[in-house]
Amino acid sequence: MGKIHTLVLIRHGESQWNIENRFTGWVDVPLAPSGVAESHRAAQSIKEEGLEFDLVYTSTLKRAIKTAWNILEDLDIMHTPVHHDWRLNERMYGALQGLDKTETVEKHGMDQVLIWRRSYATPPPPMPADHEFHPRKEKKYDFLSDAELPVTESLACVVKRFMPLWNDTLMPIIKSGKKLLISAHGNTLRALVKHLDNIPEDVIANLNIPTSVPLVYHLEETDDGDLKPVKIEGAFAPMSGKYLGDQEAIKAAIAGVANQAGKK
Amino acid sequence: MGGKSAEDGLDENGHYTLVLVRHGESQWNKENRFTGWVDVPLAETGIDEAKRASNSLKSEGFSFDVMFTSLLQRAIKTGLLILEDLGLLWIPVDKDWRLNERHYGALQGLNKKETVEKHGSEQVNLWRRSYDTPPPPMSPDSPYWAGNQPQHKSLKDLPSTECLKDTVARVLPWWKEVCAPAIKSGRKVLVAAHGNSLRALVKYLDGLSDEEICSLNIPTAIPLVYKLDKNLKPVRAEGAYAPLSGRYLGDPEMVRNAIEGVANQTGKK
Repeated sequence: MGKIHTLVLIRHGESQWNIENRFTGWVDVPLAPSGVAESHRAAQSIKEEGLEFDLVYTSTLKRAIKTAWNILEDLDIMHTPVHHDWRLNERMYGALQGLDKTETVEKHGMDQVLIWRRSYATPPPPMPADHEFHPRKEKKYDFLSDAELPVTESLACVVKRFMPLWNDTLMPIIKSGKKLLISAHGNTLRALVKHLDNIPEDVIANLNIPTSVPLVYHLEETDDGDLKPVKIEGAFAPMSGKYLGDQEAIKAAIAGVANQAGKK
Repeated sequence: MGGKSAEDGLDENGHYTLVLVRHGESQWNKENRFTGWVDVPLAETGIDEAKRASNSLKSEGFSFDVMFTSLLQRAIKTGLLILEDLGLLWIPVDKDWRLNERHYGALQGLNKKETVEKHGSEQVNLWRRSYDTPPPPMSPDSPYWAGNQPQHKSLKDLPSTECLKDTVARVLPWWKEVCAPAIKSGRKVLVAAHGNSLRALVKYLDGLSDEEICSLNIPTAIPLVYKLDKNLKPVRAEGAYAPLSGRYLGDPEMVRNAIEGVANQTGKK
């Protein structure tokens, strides 16, 4: 058996726009107080499991960054290096960003909105250049060329821009023996677990990763230099990884997300 | 001032901007204990102080491209609170042991008053305010031994004590290797650090003597803004607080009280 590495993933908790029921994507909304509380709860699970980190990777969106910082602070390891990478950002939701979800359904019909939200390869309508929430207005994306800066994305697009980060940066980090925490978003974590566990496109598009529940993977180094998950006891199918915390509550949370057609 | 500036980081006068901020009250400041490298958190008051600092920065439209800080959470958290308030949580944060507070040797953890009672105020003053007399070294079996701290255990040449001269000796390489290149590359820099690491830095920037720096008090959580020319030499700011070329942000009365207040608090740090 090859060397085994532990990788911890976490999706940030409830944001201000989750509460307001608005499509978010790249808009840099803060965590809601409930989301902050969720991050502390996640830290507690991580502490109880005795997990440690050498390094954190997060997106350039504050809701994921703040989740990471709260976890580091609660674990008393604020000195841990933290890297922000846009390729961990949530899926860019195009012209839907900022819109109320219920109103969008009323305007375009449930079927169309469901396609935008839950298909693998159909992106929402692109964001026009003069849009209130256009990422070009933010300094943080100055370094991205117009070709690189998304104006909308499907999950397939997220996979495409995330995988180079995984292959070129994150895998080498893990293989070097560094214990990594990735604090990110629903769709980037979908992109990652899709790759790790070879999950089919139609399944991944509907896979619900509960907010702020640490997801632990054990990854084995293969002879050809890859990292393959080793199924952990208590793994949450179809993933090889396991969630930390009250398993019943987690099951209920996942079922709840599936049922909340009005929320994300 | 702040606001939109050129890609090269120069302001309308062709100067670079460097902002320094010393963290606010920590848990051990409140308990009146020597701290040094012990990783104590900010007190609630210290968190409030960080908010005051970010308000001053916000009101003058400051923005940053990178933050440098130490490996000690009281400085890191101060910096993060500022970045969060300015909407800059996404910028790179580089943490370096060379920005740590001065290592206080065997005094770390001790109550300041008790230490004065034990060693006499003259000796303690020498340890605290001389340039090159370090406190007694910490022994490896101390509960505060840096080699047992997760952030410090893999550092080479761990100090067992430091005088201000030692702190200067490790801050200057950091300036040359990390901060100066960042500024010259056009990035606007925020440094969130400690009383003695900032003393070391301003001593170098402003060419202060050993005596001058020992009596210099940098007030907590008041942003200190430096303007540097193309050679990174300070340009004296209007409202500069002598002997420094930099100016403190905030109400002048408040700033003056804060600086003189630190000088008068012989019971505190």
